[in-house]
Amino acid sequence: MAAPPERRWGEAVLNLYIVVFFVYLFAPLLVMSLAAFNDFQYPSVTQWRGWTLRWFGELARDVRLQQGLINSLLIAMGVIAISLPCGLAGALILTRLESRWNGLLYGILVSPILTPGIILGISTLILWRNLGVPGGLFLACVAQSSFIASYCMLLFMARLQRQDRTLEDAALDLGASNLMVFRRITLPFLTPTIATAAVIGFLQSIENYNTTVFAIGGQWTLVTEIGSRFRFGLTPVINVIGVIFVVITIVCAVIWTVLRQRERQMTIR
Amino acid sequence: MRSLVATYGRGLTALFCGLALIWLLGLIVLPQLFMLERSLWWQEQPAEAFALTKRIDDLYNEVSLLEFDRRAAEGEEVAQLEARIAAKRAEIAELEAVEVAPVRVYGLANYVKMSGLHFWIFVKTIFYAMLVTLLALVVCYPIAFAAAQLASPANAALLLLGLVVPYAINELLRVYAWLMILDYQGVINSFLAWLGLVDFEKRTWVPFLEYPGAVFVAMVYAYVLFMVFPMYNTMETLDRNQLEAARDLGASTWRTHWRVVIPHARPGIAVGCIMTFMLSAGSFAVPQIISRGTGGDWFSQLIYRQFFESFNWNVGAAYAFTLLLACIVFIFLVMRLAGVGIRDIAK
Repeated sequence: MAAPPERRWGEAVLNLYIVVFFVYLFAPLLVMSLAAFNDFQYPSVTQWRGWTLRWFGELARDVRLQQGLINSLLIAMGVIAISLPCGLAGALILTRLESRWNGLLYGILVSPILTPGIILGISTLILWRNLGVPGGLFLACVAQSSFIASYCMLLFMARLQRQDRTLEDAALDLGASNLMVFRRITLPFLTPTIATAAVIGFLQSIENYNTTVFAIGGQWTLVTEIGSRFRFGLTPVINVIGVIFVVITIVCAVIWTVLRQRERQMTIR
Repeated sequence: MRSLVATYGRGLTALFCGLALIWLLGLIVLPQLFMLERSLWWQEQPAEAFALTKRIDDLYNEVSLLEFDRRAAEGEEVAQLEARIAAKRAEIAELEAVEVAPVRVYGLANYVKMSGLHFWIFVKTIFYAMLVTLLALVVCYPIAFAAAQLASPANAALLLLGLVVPYAINELLRVYAWLMILDYQGVINSFLAWLGLVDFEKRTWVPFLEYPGAVFVAMVYAYVLFMVFPMYNTMETLDRNQLEAARDLGASTWRTHWRVVIPHARPGIAVGCIMTFMLSAGSFAVPQIISRGTGGDWFSQLIYRQFFESFNWNVGAAYAFTLLLACIVFIFLVMRLAGVGIRDIAK
């Protein structure tokens, strides 16, 4: 059945729009990546001085950026260690609590996602200043955890809503201890979500700028260091970091696609 | 709560409650309360106390001058100078005994004192953030619809993957890519120069970065995903038969969207708008990188300066709280308009 001409036009316009949209998404990344290979001291693609790999070498010698990466990883570890247990606790309570306070509690625990990042950073900084703790890695970790825990909680809640609680009841009836029920039934059921939450928390933490820049004090992470380079002079080293991000992402995306396809083929068989 | 105790026992339940409480109080509620508290006071010295402090400072200066003289002095002058120094020191001690430290004064002055310029920047920021939200909505709606309803499953997965890939790259770097395009000697201006429309030597390039539009483009780019995904999630649940039915009954494309797709996708649209507005109103990185002080400040930059350049945390806290209030008002407004509850937001 042929579509009427009007509809075909509509689809052509839409397809064109999608193409334009993806050019909008990817062209900037292409420009940025290209400048990483330009043998010119300022990041540029228009003043082309020939291909070079020298900025990769510069990155390898850049101690501040490397220390920043280490700090970012440390913070991410801390964030995961705080966010997963807190998020899980919140999710367990919210899925079981039958009270009119449930809505309010939910609203408060979700609110950090809806709060601008700079405000999370500022409020954490002010609270801990009163306790005599200055900005630094620890505060960055705490500030990020406030909203990353909310993401974790939402993931856990989505999973817990599909949980078959009769399993736990059965285990209890058969004489399992409470701890054993949690360890042998609830945790295994949540394992995939724990992995997802850890990955998402890790990525969110590494990426974060708005919250971290207020809470980090005199320390720095990879991202805040990049941020301060915008003020104090840019070199294509920053573009090299961009290229590395792009490559890692594309590799992950390809692996993910391949795995998914294989999974689909398995289910078809 | 009873069912929690029944399944996990008292010990584990207490642990869960403890963890949740630490998070709730320590990471969410207390920081906000302390920020609010901080915004409600400032340090002040009464007028006479100020004069007193000034007098004490002057005395200290005189004492150091006299001591300097004494070192050069000889004979009986020494004793004379020492006597004068002692007298001054006594006066200092006397005055310091009655000197009062600056006192905390509570009030709304940190909010009210906001200068005309700062208030204008606040209004402008909120307005711009709304504009960015609207722009993102218009740009993303067709994409979300195409991915959810028109594309085959394999194509849809590809579309979504294409959307996610730029997002794995850091926000700063994404914005930086736009900086390279819009810069004075960036890609667009170089193209214009190649066409002979502008001349770098004469500095007749188009100063894109100084226009608010540059920040818009970069912001829409930076936050597109937060608009597409909530919309996609709700649109995906729409039964395609409904679209067919609408079309068979003679509805035009516009009418189908207005009466079928949009009402169904309302929660997703609301969430997308809320996220985009919140991110752009509170965005610090985008205006900082793009405008670099040439295109006028956003409110977030103002807040940053209150903290780290003028070291006036009280005013900074007041500004931050103002921004938070604006976001809360926006969230409730959108939820009201779209008729969705807080539970719908978290999907």
